[in-house]
Amino acid sequence: MSRSPLEALARTQKLVVCVGSGGVGKTTTAASLALWAALSGRRVLVLTIDPARRLANSLGLSEIGNEEVRIPLERLLTEATGAPEPVPGGQLWAMMLDPKSTLDDVIGKVSKDTATRDAIFANRIYRSIAGSFSGSQEYMATERLYDVYGSGRYDLVVLDTPPVKNALDFLEAPGRLARFLDRQVMKWFLTPYDEEGGVGKRLMLGTSAVVYRLLGHIFGREFLKELSVFFTLFRDLYDGMRERHEAVGRIFGDPRTTFLVVSGPNEPSVDVATFFVQELRARSLKIGGVVVNQLHRARLVNPDVDALLGRKARELDPVLAPQVLARLGAAHRRLRDLAALERQWVGRLAAAAPGVPLVEIDRQPGEVHDLSGLLLLHRWLFAPI
Amino acid sequence: MADQPSELPADTSVLFRSRVLFLTGKGGTGKTTLAAAIGRLAASQGRRTLVCELDNQRSSLTAIFGKTPTYQPTSVAPGLSVANIEWMPALDDWLADLVGAGRIVRMIMKNRMISIFLEATPGARDLMLLHRVVKLAEQFDLVIVDMPASGNAVGMLSVVGTSRRLFDAGPIRRCAEEIDAMFARADTNLVLVGLPEEMVVNETVETRGRVTAELPRLHQPLVLLNRATPATLSDGERALLDQLEGGELGVEARELVDAGRWEERLESATAEALGRLRAVVPVALLPVLARGEGAARVVGQLTAALARQSRAKVDLVGDVPG
Repeated sequence: MSRSPLEALARTQKLVVCVGSGGVGKTTTAASLALWAALSGRRVLVLTIDPARRLANSLGLSEIGNEEVRIPLERLLTEATGAPEPVPGGQLWAMMLDPKSTLDDVIGKVSKDTATRDAIFANRIYRSIAGSFSGSQEYMATERLYDVYGSGRYDLVVLDTPPVKNALDFLEAPGRLARFLDRQVMKWFLTPYDEEGGVGKRLMLGTSAVVYRLLGHIFGREFLKELSVFFTLFRDLYDGMRERHEAVGRIFGDPRTTFLVVSGPNEPSVDVATFFVQELRARSLKIGGVVVNQLHRARLVNPDVDALLGRKARELDPVLAPQVLARLGAAHRRLRDLAALERQWVGRLAAAAPGVPLVEIDRQPGEVHDLSGLLLLHRWLFAPI
Repeated sequence: MADQPSELPADTSVLFRSRVLFLTGKGGTGKTTLAAAIGRLAASQGRRTLVCELDNQRSSLTAIFGKTPTYQPTSVAPGLSVANIEWMPALDDWLADLVGAGRIVRMIMKNRMISIFLEATPGARDLMLLHRVVKLAEQFDLVIVDMPASGNAVGMLSVVGTSRRLFDAGPIRRCAEEIDAMFARADTNLVLVGLPEEMVVNETVETRGRVTAELPRLHQPLVLLNRATPATLSDGERALLDQLEGGELGVEARELVDAGRWEERLESATAEALGRLRAVVPVALLPVLARGEGAARVVGQLTAALARQSRAKVDLVGDVPG
């Protein structure tokens, strides 16, 4: 019997990135993996970019903020029967990304003085971009990741990604930002505004002149002026931010980084998972496993309900027994058909990810919302294959 | 609407008298499938209908209609078209309308600096996408917009308000105003797709609050509770199930009782979800269809269910005791 593929991953990796479509148990999987690694003695942070409060939910907390929160593992021993004694030294931390305050932190860190920082905070454009526009979550996620990864406080960071349809956005974000922060590009924008007086003081020829006029026409002079102030304030920050984003790109490609593709047993999520497998492979990023969550199981094909339960049910309630037995039969047929359909989707996913270990997790009776719930998942996540 | 009524009545007819419908919800709730089903039904009622996505690099509509949507609407059935509004051509179209000369626009768009500028300008992308919806609503009787998951969707829609504060004048300001005017129309509506699961309900309630706070121009959204299992088990039946479950059972009998319990839990989860949601937002139920089936078949069944619902003009499964 060989060890579970995820066990090696939880023991040795420095970063595990969980990807997949929404609603497939990605956050729960991330939290459960983190808990396992923490119990086995590693210092682990699980970081979610999900704007929903799902990580807090699944850890049984009412709130997690932009700061790292330590989850007391001792709680498990009182909460769950049969919980393993944590290996000394293990720690579990959780953090949920708040894009706005993360951006503020970053600006605080890379600003050369408090005056620059305060000017940026006061800028109308800054206030409106921080945290609200498409892609900002992904930028900030990589920022936060860079911080915690490099802090030395954790042996393992488990990153739970947002359920974006264009799901690799967060991988692209550093590249896009780096392009945006390209010095040459910035120079091009700032040139006409650099000296007091703004546009018009400088003689522009050809395309540039047309372009500026058009931009002024579209966005209004006021906005362009404000934007140039924004860019000017940011100018000294570019190098710092760019370096950080390039570093994150390197972290994703590091040999101790692994991606975990999470899916449900249905067409839309298998579709997204397949896409992830292809995209990650195209980027030569390491896939440690495919986790299929929420599987329904039925082992019986055509059970004889009356033979199995009839006598017992009639003893308990002779009046209601017939209809309850009929219902159990019908419910079982539906469950069986569903389980059979799900097998097909799992098969399709396995075929799309040859050579990648596939881990199946049965649907849990209730929703997982505490440490003992996460502990129950270990039986599947870390089952030997 | 009165303050905090104990239960808000659901009016599903908004689905069929809207001109623009925005659909969003937590990931995995079935937004795209529902968008397609509503589209099919509207088209079958003789309305020229478009189902579109916003800059989705990986369309989920392809699996349903067998055709990958492009920027230009393409017909997939009589009266029904699909599109994927990509932002660069949307920007191109908007600029062409503005400047009127295709050649200049193309020349400008080829300029690398410009595209980076626009990509980076706060909200420009979202504004262009939404403005294209305004234009498409002039060409179709119904435009159904399959939005990203709720967190991103609300951010995207609220860009309009932010932009109106940010841009004092000029065409971009007018662009935001036109979108804002579309939001304010009685025939523009927002649908939140939910599931009878605790975390989905949490997110739906949270989104509902954000809509009120950040999108004051939009009308109260309607929640479509997808994959709902109405309660059919009586208290007596449930008690018997409990007793069976608590007794000594063989493996096979256990599997049968577990199947019954599985359905019973779906029923109580639906009742619980309805109780929480109906306190803050109108909710209509959509039934559990063939679970685990392929998207194209589910859309067919969902379309039929919606059709029954629109004829009956009541909740499909009536009230669920909560």
